[in-house]
Amino acid sequence: MEKPAKVSASFRDPSGFLFKINGTLYRQINRSYQEDWEQFEKSGLSRKLVQLGFLIPYRKARHSLSASADAYQIIQPQLVEFISYPYEWCFGQLKDAALLTLKIQKIALEYGMSLKDASAYNIQFVEGKPMLIDHLSFEKHEEKPWVAYRQFCQHFLAPLALASYNDIRLIQLMRVYIDGIPLDLAAKLLPKKALIRPQLLAHLYLHAKSQQFFADRPQSGGMERSLRFRKGQLLGLVSGLEGAIRGLEWKPRGTEWADYYENTNYSRVAFKNKAEIVEKFVRSARPKVVWDLGANTGEFSRVAMKSSKLIVSSDIDPAAVELNYREVKSNGESRILPLVLDLTNPSGGIGWANRERMALAERGPADMVMALALIHHLAISNNLPFAKIAEFFAQIGRSLIIEFVPKEDSQVQRLLATREDIFSNYTQADFEKEFGRMFTVTGKEPVKGSKRTVYLLKRKS
Amino acid sequence: MLRILFLSLTFLALARPAHAYLDPGTGSYFVQILLAGIAGGGYIIFSSWGKIKQLLSSVFRKGKKEKQGDGKTS
Repeated sequence: MEKPAKVSASFRDPSGFLFKINGTLYRQINRSYQEDWEQFEKSGLSRKLVQLGFLIPYRKARHSLSASADAYQIIQPQLVEFISYPYEWCFGQLKDAALLTLKIQKIALEYGMSLKDASAYNIQFVEGKPMLIDHLSFEKHEEKPWVAYRQFCQHFLAPLALASYNDIRLIQLMRVYIDGIPLDLAAKLLPKKALIRPQLLAHLYLHAKSQQFFADRPQSGGMERSLRFRKGQLLGLVSGLEGAIRGLEWKPRGTEWADYYENTNYSRVAFKNKAEIVEKFVRSARPKVVWDLGANTGEFSRVAMKSSKLIVSSDIDPAAVELNYREVKSNGESRILPLVLDLTNPSGGIGWANRERMALAERGPADMVMALALIHHLAISNNLPFAKIAEFFAQIGRSLIIEFVPKEDSQVQRLLATREDIFSNYTQADFEKEFGRMFTVTGKEPVKGSKRTVYLLKRKS
Repeated sequence: MLRILFLSLTFLALARPAHAYLDPGTGSYFVQILLAGIAGGGYIIFSSWGKIKQLLSSVFRKGKKEKQGDGKTS
């Protein structure tokens, strides 16, 4: 048996940690957490949350698997197919994750427990819905203020308020601050009209001021005495936060891709034919996990969905991703995970030793990568040589469906309209030569009604 | 003003949960206490609104009656 390997992100909470043996994920529950864990299970809270689909299901595993001497119990949680992070979520996803956290806290209080953390990283999207993945997030409720209140505000309320009142791109600040957006920064950036809302005034502005006030006033031990914060008061606080989150809205509009399909000269014939080719290629490869890069609102992710288990449907445009997510929700689609990703600067490894949150490439390789109507953006807008694109795609995917868009295409002409054409190597022959170094061509079909070609490529081993 | 408010609250002391691994932050604790206080105040007004209304209206009616009474006697 392989030695247990600790998961690098699992170190903050002394209640336990995640580890892997032969690719199977386990969670060790330490003795120090025994009492809370017993209440979590015996009170029926764990069953309730799993039943509601709010918590990742788990089962008990053999104690002999334990990774250290202080193990009380080992559990095997259901594996999440693709781990995503809050800076990769659209507004709606972050909002739903926030509301789920508060809903869980309310239920936990009914069972005499409370969330001891409220990290956005504890939520993952599974089968189209947010779910809590941390089974050790609960502690017995003592009549105290909420220990995770600050974290909740930093991880959820601050980025959502900034996205709603300032700019959607400010969610990206979550990439800079590993424990959520500092509240003083959020308070400074928010426009005055945001502070008219009492909940934002209280949970962000007043909260930030209070933090600043106490920052340089260390509390002496002698001053501390027990303080009752009744369950009703905590419920009131949680309801207030719920109201604050629900009141935050963001409408996807005026973006690059929102009306892409309307403005393009892409004919109906070409669109239909391209969908047929993609469907045929995906069916022949039968991938389990597909990464659809530059997916826009997920039109072709839905084509691929018929023959695969999970499509990570990413785009640089938060509005397109928002529309994609809304469709996932309204259709109850369980196989599509919309994500905001800038492929020219994909999520890197961040946090302690750059290993707490994984880089995009670390989360692969995918069984299949789809890059439809994308190559010209990478090669022309971002000046990337074909060789570099082929190399990266070969790193992140075992097979690839890629569309070549020639210079004559109106979309490429649009990109070249405002700049000098320095792309003499942007030809189909060069494309085939460079991609041929990393991949074997297993399918190649021209798209009827256009000058484009769709390829099915298999990575050379 | 906030300064005075926070200072006036410092007499409320804190006890941190025994197993908390997150630092809840003193400032974050105080805001919760403060908000609960405000909400509590609001709750008292809200839950006693019937009585307050009754009191107000009885005072108002009394005044009105007195006025009417005054009218009759004059």
